[in-house]
Amino acid sequence: MRHPIVNTLTTVLLVGLLTACGSGSDPADDAAAAADFEARKANMLATMQEHFDTKMSLPPAVQEAFERGEISPEEIDQRTAAGEFEKFFRFKTPADLPTGLVWEDGSDLPDIGSPNATKGGTFYGALSDFPRTLRLIGPDSNGSFRPWILDDTRMQLGRRHPNDTSIDANGNFRYFPGVAEAWAVDKEAATVYVRLNPAARFSDGEPVTTDDMMFTFYFMQSPHIQAPWYNNNYQRNYTNITRYDEHTFSMTLPESKPNIFSRTLEIGVLPMHFFYEYGEDFLERYQWRFVPTTGPYVLKDEDLKKGRSVTLTRNDDWWAKDLKFWRNRYNYDRVHLTVIRDSAKAFEAFKKGELSIANLSLPEFFYEKLPANDPLVTNGYVHRSVFYNDVPRPTYGLWINSGRPLLNNRDIRVGINYAVNYQKVIDQFFRGDYTRMRTTADGYGEFSHPTLKARPFDVERALDHFAKAGFTERGPDGVLINEQGQRLSFTVNTGYDSLQGTLTILREEALKAGLELRLEILDGTASWKKTQEKQHDIAFVAFNVSPEMYPRYWETYHSVNAYDQPWLADGSPNPERKLKPQTNNLQSIANAELDKLIEAYRASDDVDEMKRLAFAMEELLYEDASFVPGFVIPFLRTGYWRWVQWPEDFNVKLARSANQFKLAWIDRELEEATRNARRSGETFPVVDRVFDRYRVNLDTPATAAAQ
Amino acid sequence: MLRLNPLTVRKLKRFREIRRGYYSAILLAALTVLSLFSELMVSDRAVFISYEGQWSFPTYSDVELGAKYGLTGTAAVTPVDYRALQAHFEGTDNMVIMPFVPWGPYTNDAVDGVLRAQPPDAERRHYLGTDTTGRDVLSRLIYGFRTAIFFAVAFTALTYAIGVSIGCAMGYFGGVFDLLFQRIIEIWSNIPFLYMVIIVFSVIPSSFEVSTRIALLLLIMVLFSWTGLTYYMRTETYKEKARDYTAAAQVLGAGTVRVLFKHILPNTIATMMTFIPFTVVSAITAITALDFLGWGLPPPTPSIGELLKQGTANLTTAPWIVTSAFVALVFILAVVTFIGEAVREAFDPRKFTLYR
Repeated sequence: MRHPIVNTLTTVLLVGLLTACGSGSDPADDAAAAADFEARKANMLATMQEHFDTKMSLPPAVQEAFERGEISPEEIDQRTAAGEFEKFFRFKTPADLPTGLVWEDGSDLPDIGSPNATKGGTFYGALSDFPRTLRLIGPDSNGSFRPWILDDTRMQLGRRHPNDTSIDANGNFRYFPGVAEAWAVDKEAATVYVRLNPAARFSDGEPVTTDDMMFTFYFMQSPHIQAPWYNNNYQRNYTNITRYDEHTFSMTLPESKPNIFSRTLEIGVLPMHFFYEYGEDFLERYQWRFVPTTGPYVLKDEDLKKGRSVTLTRNDDWWAKDLKFWRNRYNYDRVHLTVIRDSAKAFEAFKKGELSIANLSLPEFFYEKLPANDPLVTNGYVHRSVFYNDVPRPTYGLWINSGRPLLNNRDIRVGINYAVNYQKVIDQFFRGDYTRMRTTADGYGEFSHPTLKARPFDVERALDHFAKAGFTERGPDGVLINEQGQRLSFTVNTGYDSLQGTLTILREEALKAGLELRLEILDGTASWKKTQEKQHDIAFVAFNVSPEMYPRYWETYHSVNAYDQPWLADGSPNPERKLKPQTNNLQSIANAELDKLIEAYRASDDVDEMKRLAFAMEELLYEDASFVPGFVIPFLRTGYWRWVQWPEDFNVKLARSANQFKLAWIDRELEEATRNARRSGETFPVVDRVFDRYRVNLDTPATAAAQ
Repeated sequence: MLRLNPLTVRKLKRFREIRRGYYSAILLAALTVLSLFSELMVSDRAVFISYEGQWSFPTYSDVELGAKYGLTGTAAVTPVDYRALQAHFEGTDNMVIMPFVPWGPYTNDAVDGVLRAQPPDAERRHYLGTDTTGRDVLSRLIYGFRTAIFFAVAFTALTYAIGVSIGCAMGYFGGVFDLLFQRIIEIWSNIPFLYMVIIVFSVIPSSFEVSTRIALLLLIMVLFSWTGLTYYMRTETYKEKARDYTAAAQVLGAGTVRVLFKHILPNTIATMMTFIPFTVVSAITAITALDFLGWGLPPPTPSIGELLKQGTANLTTAPWIVTSAFVALVFILAVVTFIGEAVREAFDPRKFTLYR
């Protein structure tokens, strides 16, 4: 019923666009447009220059006080005039570069991907929703299409090597170059110097220069992008960026943390020339413009079929096509992404041969919809692979909001931990393939706590703890009640429709211990919004964790992220405090002792000290019991048509999805042969493989990743 | 003592003669009444227990803990698993009688230690198989049917109560009242009901009990559905109002209420009757559709729509889910439609009317 309306709208829009195009060919209008462009460009450059001149490098404490309004802009000006602060954007000459810098370029690292890979063919994929914008940043930009134009395809300065996960003498992971050619660290000064590759080009042919990098910082600090996280990140986590010449610059951080590169090299450079019209109307003006990329895939206007599909094309002149670490990847000539909103439907499309690969990680797909005895598999048309990866895991579990009534009682939280039967879900629903999560910081190697484990399902202990909290009697429906007649009943909200089954099982099991979990299955955005507003009792959600060296604690556990004013002046809890929305402290934890540990951890640059602090914090969090660890998916299970070829090892250690590093390639002859064979009935050998080279025994994590 | 109008008697007789509709009505009524006692036939609670000479009937009792039946350890403080108890009592003097389908709509049954969709299995008493988390399809279907049919009955009663009275009033009073309500109804009926349900349900907290949520859903649906009836009722009333018998009643001094309910309503009700089955059908379809879209009853409440949703997502791997739900839905809708046909035929005003 909605379609006619949508079509009418599209038609109206199209007519509008056509009219706009038609009038665009008028020379007078062209001149006006050009004048408008020049005016905007001049305005943008002037605003940026002003920002360069006035943006001061404030220490984090001052910055926070300024944002809270405790320090006025005038005071900042005065203190700047007194010489207390320096500028954030600095311009120097190559002569100012410190001597004795040791430049690294990661060239000793092994290449990525297979030398057998050939270019060509089309990869067919599915999107669950049509992208709502082509902007890389700002509202609606964080959708399922984003990896295709940003995370997985756009080159950063450097990237962590996905197979060599060792730590070098300076306490850093190993990086390989992207847009940067080489880099050098001054550990004392917490500064990283970067030299851009002079050959680096954006997809429109313009070279990548230091000015683009300076612009990137200006852009990320600017309010018009409407992305507070980026604003905050690019102001608080850096103290300056300094230009030395066309291709050389440095970035300085407030403190010298282990793996300094994660903040300095994992940055994408934005093309300044493309953003000449940048201004207040950024969101609308750049809504549907493809940002020129340093990566291999470009999006042509005609390949954007609104509401239906997006097609990316490999840039034949990609500047990095012969570069080590990049040459064997990004092999598909075209990437065709169709919008298929229903995952069951997408899977059927895969089985028909309309999509190239399918994710089989859920048991439903691996055992029921494409089992080993499926004709597609037994005839050898579709291959299956189980690849054990080794990365920090998404934190699937129950996040208990300890700022809510009843849930602020630790006994109830401990009781909930004992009343949640994740082991049954893992054994019976996930068929024992997944493993139980231990803490929120699993998979960080030596930074993960060696002995802590999730509390097991235990009705008697749960009842004991609930009894301590006053819930001693069972009501007529078996749910515990206390003397005031309150029922032991909490809402669990989630946005993961596909994991709804796990919650119905947990609910049934929890009733055995007299705990009622009311399920609220919302759509992804609505559930996350509710959780971010801290309106949840218990949220079933997971943070996707990037492969960092050590877990983060400030975002999720510091009291400033739990309440607006957590403490009174004397250090006691503020009775009038309110939950603080839009932070990642989903458990509303405010613990002064934990705060101290977090601050020490943040300030520490010593690996051993950080480990000790991390363990101490994990133990405190275990005692707090406001997180019920769920499950860990230790592998990538993938089904793919036999013409999709993979490297010998199938994938890289840090792969979070089979296609993340774009290692596969399409063998067009095989594709032709297989499609013909399906008609003639010819069959091929079965390929159903397990790659367990990187398999980690998650029950004994002490020896994990960081070897 | 109910005294039926001879005309009504003739209509009912005619209805009985239309056998397809008549038997459908009996069947549906029987099923509806039967569904009130679902717990005795389809449940994971025992129907009868004899333990150490004591009899108990746990079906409608409070939740019982294992200690009552001499279980020890964790089982003593956990609600009784009557199927396990039955196995436990095997070979003793104690006895447990389970219902015909010993599975509740929420019980996850792991066959061979795996929770998955199982095909129908009479031995395990999953007569229509299980859904993707091992819950019995028949059990969920029966409880889903019960919710749907009573929802539909309540919906019909409420929409008729509102629609008929407002329509009747519009036709009888006419003038400004009629004009005003016509405009209100025009505006009101242009609000898309489905979006309203989605919006309202996204703001009401899930801490509400399931029954409260069902009541709210009912209320919203009624609020947006009574308008259709008013038009028919209004025209009918206009027509009847102009008849002599109405004027006669008025002249004899009958009050408005008496004229409306005693004279006009009985003469218009024939038309209204014919719409009832279709209102029921639309109510069942609407609640099924809402559940299918995920905006109806909160999980894990059993419903036909939810089964259909699961079924379509597992069309090839677990066809018994979608088959059961589909057949059940078609059956209910067909039966109601047959009744509707018969009612229309039996109440056809061209056949039976005093005023030609």
